Amino acid sequence: MSTAIQLHQVTAGYREQPVLENLSLEIAAGDMVGILGPNGAGKSTLFAVLSGLLRPSAGTVKLNGCNVHAMPPAERARTIAVVPQELDVPVPYTVEEIVMMGRTSAIGRFSSPTAEDRQRVERALVYTDVADIRRRPLNELSGGERQRAIVAMVLAQDPRIILMDEATSHLDLNHRLEIMQLVERLNRDDGVTVLMISHDLQIAAEFSRRLILLDHGKVVADGTPSEVLTEEMLRRVYHCDVRVHQDPHSGGISILAAPRLPAPGSGKGIHIHTIGGGGCGEATLRRLALCGYTLSSGVLNRGDMDAEVAGALGIATALEKPFSPVSREALSEARALALKANALVLAPVPFGSGNLANLDLLDEALSAGKPVFVAGGIENRDYTRNRDAVARVQALLARGAVPYQDVADLITLLPTC
Amino acid sequence: MSSRRAFWMVIGLSPVILAVCVLMGPSGIGLPDLQSQRDILMLRLARVLAGFIIGAALSCSGVVFQAVLRNPLAEPYVLGVSSGAGLGAALAIMTGFAGAFTTALPLCAFLTAVITLAVVYGLSGNGSTPSLYGLILSGVVVSAVCSSLLMFIVSASSIEGMHNILWWMLGNLDMPSDAVLGLSALLVAAGCAGLWLMARELNALTLGHQMAHHLGIRVKASIITALLLATLVAATAVGVAGLIGFVGLIVPHIMRTLVGADHRRLIPAAAIGGGAFLAVCDALARTLLPVEIPVGVITALLGGPFFLFLLKRRRTPGLIG
Repeated sequence: MSTAIQLHQVTAGYREQPVLENLSLEIAAGDMVGILGPNGAGKSTLFAVLSGLLRPSAGTVKLNGCNVHAMPPAERARTIAVVPQELDVPVPYTVEEIVMMGRTSAIGRFSSPTAEDRQRVERALVYTDVADIRRRPLNELSGGERQRAIVAMVLAQDPRIILMDEATSHLDLNHRLEIMQLVERLNRDDGVTVLMISHDLQIAAEFSRRLILLDHGKVVADGTPSEVLTEEMLRRVYHCDVRVHQDPHSGGISILAAPRLPAPGSGKGIHIHTIGGGGCGEATLRRLALCGYTLSSGVLNRGDMDAEVAGALGIATALEKPFSPVSREALSEARALALKANALVLAPVPFGSGNLANLDLLDEALSAGKPVFVAGGIENRDYTRNRDAVARVQALLARGAVPYQDVADLITLLPTC
Repeated sequence: MSSRRAFWMVIGLSPVILAVCVLMGPSGIGLPDLQSQRDILMLRLARVLAGFIIGAALSCSGVVFQAVLRNPLAEPYVLGVSSGAGLGAALAIMTGFAGAFTTALPLCAFLTAVITLAVVYGLSGNGSTPSLYGLILSGVVVSAVCSSLLMFIVSASSIEGMHNILWWMLGNLDMPSDAVLGLSALLVAAGCAGLWLMARELNALTLGHQMAHHLGIRVKASIITALLLATLVAATAVGVAGLIGFVGLIVPHIMRTLVGADHRRLIPAAAIGGGAFLAVCDALARTLLPVEIPVGVITALLGGPFFLFLLKRRRTPGLIG
């Protein structure tokens, strides 16, 4: 089978902020591929690069062997087309006029549509079942009809590759399936390569032969739906717990959300002391407060983002002067708070010589037999001269402190009432 | 009525309307005596032709601005093009260039309009294709600056110059000479023809920059060419005939409801229909009262209420004609 899409070490992004980094990918002609990933994973950037909208800062993008950014626009339009999530049309084009726009690059500047153009439009109108509403203005139609008309336009364009950019996310279940079946038929009958971005894992699993899971601009999983949609993979990428069931008869995959956020109030009566700073503990404080834990925090510098949040949430906090290293007085104030706590949490805080003393609290808590939870990835946040923070956190872990990845992870580890 | 039939109706009715306009004038309604009143007939012919050209230019550029900016309320004024052209024309009138050379008025107007457009375009996008809101916002700002400069020129000029500029600002289809008329006819015809040839680009651009790109259009080049051509015809109109408002707004909307939004039909229909519309407004301006009313007053009196009507209708989806 020949290759329809070939990305070679592509780095791309908006305003010098790379969203895709060193991405290499090959997609076979005639395949039907779902692109999954959380918001900001780089799905839309991938489509922008593929359709030639965004020039990558490094690497090449080839469609059917030709560099997409070197293609003449008309040839590019014959190769690849995009079904957007939604098309905002400010003037009252009729369905037929919209579908005819699919022929834009095929019709010459000095000529009117040929018999072939008209025939293709006619075929697209019938194929997508919008022939009977061809004279109605697009912006008077329902969401499902509009999207069908746009698929008809793309059909009239007659491309070899179709990108579906969340093309069904505004539609109800019935119309969603309808559009997907339409595209599936196109893929089967005409051998059109289809790539679709979808937040609906169920639909993606059902209609794709191959799934590519993106996270932070990288491919983290690539394979058949049952290979990619595992509970562990989804938990890692989407940071929430799901149950994946494969139907033994049809092989269809169903995905159910398993709420892992404890019900508000489950932390009632349990006191947790958090060590944050610089806005890193903010999310932790908010989430724990939501679960009903009694909180305290410190030592924080006055004016620090975490200190503001703690103040706003009415959390008892040991405070130090702005931009000053942690003093003995402040530390003993924090120690008093930590002594009353049932458990201690170290948020993903960057460490310098100024706030290193905060780690004393954790040491003492471990000695007192209190559980201590430490955010992972300290290696990237240690700005002390001799990597003291790394050494001390490793010592804490060796003494029985529990590491966690993110807030969602932490919630499952904390004691509940 | 099908939009195709409506299109041919617009094309077919316009010569009839223009002929009726020739029959109207301050010296009486009816065909002037060909022997004794030959001059009157020639005057009226020139006047109707001027109305036709200016009307065609304003409505054609209105269609294009609405398509490229994807805003049904856009017209040459929105991007500061009219104010820019007006500023140039006022300078030409005040310095006496306009009296000395026939080409000075349209040329000055076009130059300042293009400079205005370049400033607006430069302000709105830093190197990349500018966003619509950026374009409209900087258009409004630049337009306001041009208008205040124009006001300054008016206030600083002599009584006679002030009268000339004011009369021009109100909109006036009395051409200083046949050469100016011929030159503007040429510029407007060329500009409108060029825009007609860009019909498919304009169609695609109304679907947004990204969609136009996917359909195989060179987006940036198309936007710049379309805006330049629309500026050419709008500046020519403003340069020779002054600030005649609302034609560029009303006619495109009426034509869109009649012949549809496809620019292959819309551009010629707007040019011909807009020409006939302004010729009729001018004929009314010449005959309604014993003294001549500036044609800009007539178009504004018709256009103001229509604009409000449009704004109101805009709230019901799908009716943006």
